[in-house]
Amino acid sequence: MSNSPLIRTIDLRKVYETEAVTTPALRGVDLDLHEKEFTAIAGPSGSGKSTLLHLLGGLDRPTSGEILLEGRPLSGLSKDQLARLRMTSIGFVFQAYNLIPVLTVLENTAFVLELQGIARAERIERARRILGELGIEKYADQFPNRISGGEQQRVAVARAVVSEPSIVLADEPTANLDSAASLELIDLMRRLNEGKGATFLFATHDARLLDRVSRVVTLVDGRIATDEVRNPA
Amino acid sequence: MKAAIRHLVRNRRRSLLTLLAVLCPVFALVVMFGFASANLSDMFDTVTRVDTGHLQIRHVDTRAAGSATALMQDPSHALEALAGIDGIEWYTARLDLPALASAGDRSRTVLVQGVVPEEIDPISSTRSLIVAGTYLTSDSLGVVIGEELADLLKVGVGDDLVLLGAHPETGVGVLRVPVVGIVDAPIAEMGRSVVQAPLALTRQLARSATAATAVVVRVAGVTGPWDSDRIDAVAANLRAVLPADYGVLDWRDLVPQVDVFLRILNPALLIVAAIFFGLGALVVLNTVYLSVMERTRELGLVLSLGASRGRVMRSILSEAGILAGVGAVGGALGGVGLVWIVEALGGIPLPAEYSAFAKAVGINSVLHLRVDAPQVLLAAAAMAAVAVLAAWVPALRASNLEPVEAMRYVE
Repeated sequence: MSNSPLIRTIDLRKVYETEAVTTPALRGVDLDLHEKEFTAIAGPSGSGKSTLLHLLGGLDRPTSGEILLEGRPLSGLSKDQLARLRMTSIGFVFQAYNLIPVLTVLENTAFVLELQGIARAERIERARRILGELGIEKYADQFPNRISGGEQQRVAVARAVVSEPSIVLADEPTANLDSAASLELIDLMRRLNEGKGATFLFATHDARLLDRVSRVVTLVDGRIATDEVRNPA
Repeated sequence: MKAAIRHLVRNRRRSLLTLLAVLCPVFALVVMFGFASANLSDMFDTVTRVDTGHLQIRHVDTRAAGSATALMQDPSHALEALAGIDGIEWYTARLDLPALASAGDRSRTVLVQGVVPEEIDPISSTRSLIVAGTYLTSDSLGVVIGEELADLLKVGVGDDLVLLGAHPETGVGVLRVPVVGIVDAPIAEMGRSVVQAPLALTRQLARSATAATAVVVRVAGVTGPWDSDRIDAVAANLRAVLPADYGVLDWRDLVPQVDVFLRILNPALLIVAAIFFGLGALVVLNTVYLSVMERTRELGLVLSLGASRGRVMRSILSEAGILAGVGAVGGALGGVGLVWIVEALGGIPLPAEYSAFAKAVGINSVLHLRVDAPQVLLAAAAMAAVAVLAAWVPALRASNLEPVEAMRYVE
């Protein structure tokens, strides 16, 4: 593990404002994430977990503070530059609606590779390989609505790691899964972390999953309440 | 492209509506062009067959306002020139002379048309309109008049008419000629005021053995005003070889009101086309916009994964482009197909009253629809382009979605 963090946040703040209400979601988060970590962001609903992931993933902009990804600040990037950053350096797994319904499992998995302009033969080969590694190759030609929620989330994980990004951000990936499927998904992510060295940061409020992670950062009211190392990779 | 097609198949109803929004205007325009061309052809045929021809060779003073038609003292130069020009279908010399026709104590101003009967037969139906007596030959020493003029002058076949012709270049001439035939003229005014006579006899009235007022020319291969290039080419060739005191007038010079009508018709068709395009574009905009709204979360996901805004825009436009292309081709094929079927069935017969007139003057009594490839291609391409432009607005909206907001979107 390198000493320089993969991601560093400096006094990160996010305030959502409407005409009537001002809601602080993050109140000054300083966080370092290193390569090959398997980190959970824990905390109750409304604690700022999803907001933090969105900011780290370049999906939203902080109100103040800075994010450094591999030493590069995100604050000066344009929308298009952020999109390119997401395409090349970050894998995403969302809570729901993860897959594009008109694409097959194989096409969904290869989608980011297609965005990167990788030749069709290579992206199909890489997508098939990762589906095989995750044990879901048999669904390659199925459309998302033909497979279960747990299988859909596995496909989302496959898509997130197929391009070998710097980090995979997962926002409550098990929220819509039953207990067994949740544990299976986290174990799968952990295997990818240990086997391929992929860096994972995922948000969850499911305490059972925290036994399987190497580090748990707990947010409460937009601040880091605890940051503990549990099962280092 | 594959994903675009799947999206379209997934939302079949909306896709069908979008497709119809493009197909229907193109179909309607092609059929409208077919009818417009048929009417244009009909009108053109009427004016160029019955009276003016496609071209006339006249003396250069011919169009002096308010004066009598100038005489060509000897049209042989024109006739010789015509013999050496390619692309001529038919021509004949004619002598039109204002005259006073009298019988007993009745008289009426008429136009004596001096013609070569055997030459005008191929394009004139006058012979078939004879209701009493016989039609003319070049050797006839009599005239043919309309039923209306016969009634006005109280004459019948075998009765004499006195024709008093007057022309500034030849002075006054007088002829006493018998009526050899009476025609049921298709137009009452023709029946009242036209006296048809052999050219030689009319020249006696004009007191000139060789005079003519015009050589009337029809150009080969001309089916409507869209073939004006052929007419212009023949006119240019004629001008190059004719003496300087001969002028060549085309149908636009001879019947300018028809040319004006044709000039108005094209902008009118364009306005109708623009209305069709506008309505089609509104439907396309609406359906594509609804599609973008419904897919907001999916678009948010695509943007989250790093798709550029340009890519999102292209994906929406490509879907609209597929529908626009299929709709435009379908509409064009449908329109051309309908025109083809109508023509295969023999065209559209005109209403009975007009049909009788058309038959009488020797023009087609059936409307023959006609569409040209450039018209069809233009209608299809323009509608497809308008449809894609209409889809630009929702495509732009899709490309400007904020990923997080879009993924939270609830329909």
